[in-house]
Amino acid sequence: MARAVRAGNSRIDLIVLGAAALLALVARGLPPNLRDPVASSMRTTFLAPLVMLQERAEASRRSLLLDDTRTAIRDSVSLRAMTVASLEDENDRLRQLIGLGSRLRWGFIPAEAIHGRGVRDVTTMTLTSGSNSGARRLSPVISPEGVVGMVITVDPTMSEAMIWTHPDFRVSAMSGDGSAFGIVQAHLASATTGYLMELRGIPFRSSLKPGTLIVSSGLGGVWPRGIPVGTVLEEVKTSEGWARTYLLRPAVSPADVGAVMILRTDRVTKGFENVWTSVAAAEAAAQRIIVAGDSAARDAALAEAAARRAALDTTRRGVAPGTVVPGGLPPELLPDTLLVPEGEVLPQDTGVAAAARREAARRAAARRDSLRRDSAEQRAPRPSPTRGN
Amino acid sequence: MNLGTTLRAGMIFLLLVFLHYTLRPLLGWRAPMDFLLLALLLSAIRVRPAIGALIGLALGLVSDSLTPDALGAGAIAMTVVGYLASWLKAVFFADNIALNALFFFLGKWLFDVIYFVVENRIGGIELVQQLLLWSPLSAAATALAGILLILVMRPLLEPARA
Repeated sequence: MARAVRAGNSRIDLIVLGAAALLALVARGLPPNLRDPVASSMRTTFLAPLVMLQERAEASRRSLLLDDTRTAIRDSVSLRAMTVASLEDENDRLRQLIGLGSRLRWGFIPAEAIHGRGVRDVTTMTLTSGSNSGARRLSPVISPEGVVGMVITVDPTMSEAMIWTHPDFRVSAMSGDGSAFGIVQAHLASATTGYLMELRGIPFRSSLKPGTLIVSSGLGGVWPRGIPVGTVLEEVKTSEGWARTYLLRPAVSPADVGAVMILRTDRVTKGFENVWTSVAAAEAAAQRIIVAGDSAARDAALAEAAARRAALDTTRRGVAPGTVVPGGLPPELLPDTLLVPEGEVLPQDTGVAAAARREAARRAAARRDSLRRDSAEQRAPRPSPTRGN
Repeated sequence: MNLGTTLRAGMIFLLLVFLHYTLRPLLGWRAPMDFLLLALLLSAIRVRPAIGALIGLALGLVSDSLTPDALGAGAIAMTVVGYLASWLKAVFFADNIALNALFFFLGKWLFDVIYFVVENRIGGIELVQQLLLWSPLSAAATALAGILLILVMRPLLEPARA
């Protein structure tokens, strides 16, 4: 009996096996145009979660494999990003130096400035050019912005320069227009004012306005004429009654000095008046344009406000819009005094004159708008004054 | 087989299917371990050969759905392996780790032989290389994974008495 049951079961198992194998063979024998829909229907229905899991797992594996590469790339990019700011600064300074070099044309020795212990207390710096390159004692050291200092000791390959923050540094200077002469030295009065200069010995009759450019006068024998030293900030009250003293914002901040130029003696004797002139003139012109634009915009705004007030008054008095009135302007823009009383007739303006006035008004408005734009653009990129940290 | 055993076996089955679609692609080995085949073998030893064949057919179709060109090859291979595993359970699934490892190894190798022959995609030396090199390696990895699974989940994997 049991053997019969087992035999029956075995037969059923074989039948099921055969049926399953037949089904599988049928699936295997399906033409390609039927296989894809069958497989696709399974993938998009009950197998969808498993397919999604497999996709995620494969993506994770790719991420793991690429992780080292990505980390290396990220580190490289971070490292480069850290140096970008300093490279940009260096690039700017070198561009300025190249520009100065092209203006000087000859007679200068390029050098790198090596700072000493710190920034705040720096009064001297080492330069990477020495007597082999042509540097001599008392040779002026300049940067594209202006006066840096002068060479005090010279080695064959290196030299040491006293920069303008040194207590012993002096340079004979004058205002840009040559109206006042004095001596510039470091301002040592207060530690809180940072790196500033003093212009001493200005005659009492000469008054300098804030913002006046101070350049070397060429009277001392060391510095040639025309190199920017600084700009006037304010007058300093001192006990000396016979002369004025002014506080200057230096043209060169000691902390920003990197690449400099040492002027050769023969170049010094030739003068430098045309080297910085264009830069100073451009700055002055830009300043004047800004001031003019601001005042023009202010006038235009006042006129516009007055016209609005007049228009409001006119509306209140019941003048119909579009009425032809003298001057060719619409009644909304006329002041009250020009309004014509009812019943009174004034001589009519000619059409040509009215058109000319309208055109003038349109041009004035356009000029006003362009002045506003210019002054806004001029204000935006202006650098803040450098105060040597 | 009572309800608890069935539930435990079902859990193990689902876990292996899950691992097949997560751990296997994550490892990305050239000779991968086949968790679907492990699921089939561990299920087949608990059921009659006919049911084992049907489970093999279902799992084979599932695995073939991701390779439409080979649709049916995996189904045939798993049907045969499922039937044979169920039929041979009394021989192989004794309480012996080595026998169990051999069981998994032979099951995977047999599956690969049937699969690659029926699929008829590769031939010649490439087929020989696949069947004599990569398939045994894959079978060994599968056997290793199966043994680890048995050791970790021994209480849940008590086979039904034949």
